[in-house]
Amino acid sequence: MKLLFLFVTALLLSACAVEPLQAWDRGYLARPEMAWDPDSLSASQRNHVYFSKEASSGAASAGGGGCGCN
Amino acid sequence: MKQKNARGQGASAFMALSAAALAIPGIVSTAQAAAPIAEAELGYKASAYREADIERSKLAAGSASRYEIDTHQLRFISPLGRASDLAVDFSYETMSGASPWFIMPGTSGNGPVQVMSGASIEEERKDIQASLGHYFSSQHAAKVLLGYSTENDYQAVNMGVEGSIEIPARELTLTAGLGFSDDEIEPTDPEMPDRIDSASRSSTTAFVAVAQVLNANTVVQGSLSMVTNDGYLSDPYKKVWRADLSNTVADARPNERQQLVLNVRMRHYLPAVRAALHVDYRFFDDDWDISSHTVDLAWYQNLGDNWQLTPSLRYYSQSQAYFYGPFFYNARSDGYASSDYRLSPYGALSFRLRLERNWGEFSTNVEWESYRAAASLALDDVGVENPGLVEFDILSLGLKLHL
Repeated sequence: MKLLFLFVTALLLSACAVEPLQAWDRGYLARPEMAWDPDSLSASQRNHVYFSKEASSGAASAGGGGCGCN
Repeated sequence: MKQKNARGQGASAFMALSAAALAIPGIVSTAQAAAPIAEAELGYKASAYREADIERSKLAAGSASRYEIDTHQLRFISPLGRASDLAVDFSYETMSGASPWFIMPGTSGNGPVQVMSGASIEEERKDIQASLGHYFSSQHAAKVLLGYSTENDYQAVNMGVEGSIEIPARELTLTAGLGFSDDEIEPTDPEMPDRIDSASRSSTTAFVAVAQVLNANTVVQGSLSMVTNDGYLSDPYKKVWRADLSNTVADARPNERQQLVLNVRMRHYLPAVRAALHVDYRFFDDDWDISSHTVDLAWYQNLGDNWQLTPSLRYYSQSQAYFYGPFFYNARSDGYASSDYRLSPYGALSFRLRLERNWGEFSTNVEWESYRAAASLALDDVGVENPGLVEFDILSLGLKLHL
């Protein structure tokens, strides 16, 4: 819970200093290589492999199920 | 945004600008906008995953040849009307090879040695995931997710919902979601001693995420996820060596596991070199005493108008589960025991290289990854390395078609 509080506080504080961008300033942010996962097939396959071979998993997503991976 | 042709270039540029003007990183997990997908797209990827043979000095018995997995993935995304979109992912995997079974004490002076499963395992897995997104306004969106996966011995059904709210005055997007997975396990060869006939487990995930545009070149996202696993969490195919019995017992893990995951991601565009830097960090902690750190760095370098080269580096380090041991001298008081290398302390380093070529209507890419796990790569000192730690390479070929 302490971690959650610190996390939310840090992000809200950071937001205070941000000036809204104009539409014409967003060209770089809209580029495909600026996506969180530019190649979603590659990202989902990699995440599945790491999930199968490591003890840790998890990301900001409500999708995906388990597997009987050896 | 990739462009189709001269006419398509104008349309694509307009769509990119419109999407960018509307919003900031949102529910669609891109740094674009909380807006429906602008055009339909079909993606295909074929991947060959190959684990390196286990070293002879670490092998006590069984096959030295480890897992090979061939994967075919299909992805279709499309707008649905003016305010909704659909994404469907299908994957088909065929798996073969031997898997770590249990670990025995080595001869004096040497570390413990791995017993692998003897007969070659042959399996296949099919997985389908679908998501439907709806955009109530340029600032409010929701997504419903459904999925099903089936293997010879495993079935999983999952579902989830996500909601997103944008605060334009602060360049902030808040996302929250809830996911659930219900899994059934029916191991092959249930007549073997200690092997269960069937079992079930479930997993519930809740997360919150905050995405913040810092300036015209930089966006960051932080997220916190909590995951609860319930049910049969042991591995029905793995055993544990008990020195006092001179025999093996079944892998036995607690029936509950609580996980906390903190993710921080940054995307930064450098116009002078036409490249994007990706920095991802994840902290993981659970009540099995496992904690881990993951850092992933990627550099998306545009070359000319149609090529893109992306080198990436990933570092991972985890501590061990409290009931893990390579082998046991006697029973633990709580009855738990596992020798699974995935619960052992180790670190891993992986290197990836990706090359993409845009041909107008479609794009192709080739990607290679090399992954190596070792106790010496862990952040903390590790007394005894698990002999079953994995090394693998993945080669993928991908195709993306704009419809």
